[in-house]
Amino acid sequence: MKCRRCGERAQVALPSHHTGFCGPCFETYFLRQVERGIHDHRQFAKEDRVLLAVSGGKDSLGLLLAMKELGYSVTALHIDLDIPVSSRNARSIVEAFCQAHGVDCHILETAGKGLSVPEVKKRVNRPICSVCGKIKRHWFNRFAYENGYDVLATGHNLDDEVARLFANTLRWDQAYLAGQGPTMAAEGKFVKKVKPLCRLTEYETAVWCFLKGIDHVLAACPYSGGASFTGHKKLLATLEETSPGAKMQFYENFLRNGKPAFEALKKSAPALKDCGRCGYPTSQDVCGVCRIKEQLEG
Amino acid sequence: MVTVVIETTGERVEFRHLNTVTQLLGKLKLKQCDVLVIQEGELLTPDRKISHGSEVRVRHVVSRG
Repeated sequence: MKCRRCGERAQVALPSHHTGFCGPCFETYFLRQVERGIHDHRQFAKEDRVLLAVSGGKDSLGLLLAMKELGYSVTALHIDLDIPVSSRNARSIVEAFCQAHGVDCHILETAGKGLSVPEVKKRVNRPICSVCGKIKRHWFNRFAYENGYDVLATGHNLDDEVARLFANTLRWDQAYLAGQGPTMAAEGKFVKKVKPLCRLTEYETAVWCFLKGIDHVLAACPYSGGASFTGHKKLLATLEETSPGAKMQFYENFLRNGKPAFEALKKSAPALKDCGRCGYPTSQDVCGVCRIKEQLEG
Repeated sequence: MVTVVIETTGERVEFRHLNTVTQLLGKLKLKQCDVLVIQEGELLTPDRKISHGSEVRVRHVVSRG
């Protein structure tokens, strides 16, 4: 297989684009796709201060390097969940990466906020991935808001978005379908949230990290066994194999045709109010994260 | 003989007859975009031949949480 751009031997085959690239041309392709995601979905501009949620995995570190190479003003925020071995490993990888690439990096320890994830797992009788996700989303947003960032970016890629869309569609969850997309506008104490990797698959991000020599976390989270999105991703990968490009088509057509309809329905949803404890937006009197803290304190 | 190292598990698998990356993926029951296939610091596309006596590394790309 030859590279479509330069005719050299290809290192990467992309069936969804019916093409292949050599290493350097793939890097150009990858950066253009990131730039196109940012531009097409009006995510942010060069003068915006962007906070990037960095876990230490390939997607967030790959995005951090891409944003740096594209000239955006980006700062990393890593949340240390206090999970034995895995959190220390992830934190050291993030710190080493940021030091090597001259990126400002903040570390937020959930244990210091009364939310050590192993403790939460012991005490809260709900799937830990869902609770952990809620805690991370709360603190990423809160840190961005309290420190004056214009935008909060995450490393969610096309596969993540399509798996989530698939799950939301299976349930016909109107509120989630209305809220899903690569850009969520700021609202009150919710900062603007964006997903610049929305045009790139996990495979493409893994290739980018390999070609750029990015050292990232390879091990799975020890608490993540049985996460439902992994099963959905397998189903969607089978679909993509038989119909290359199906994932992108499903997602883009949803954004164009489905999302506006669900947004129209959302207008009748109850308004958000301030949490009675932390003051951040919630549909209830006390937000989900403060209720978890109450359980741990009680 | 071709030696294949599965990076996720550290497992080493040896194949007596293996010509291409497509054949390797078939034997491991993997899809093309499930993994990176790496040889001597280079990525291999499915059509690439794997030479006798070489070592190939297989890196899974799907995030598992």
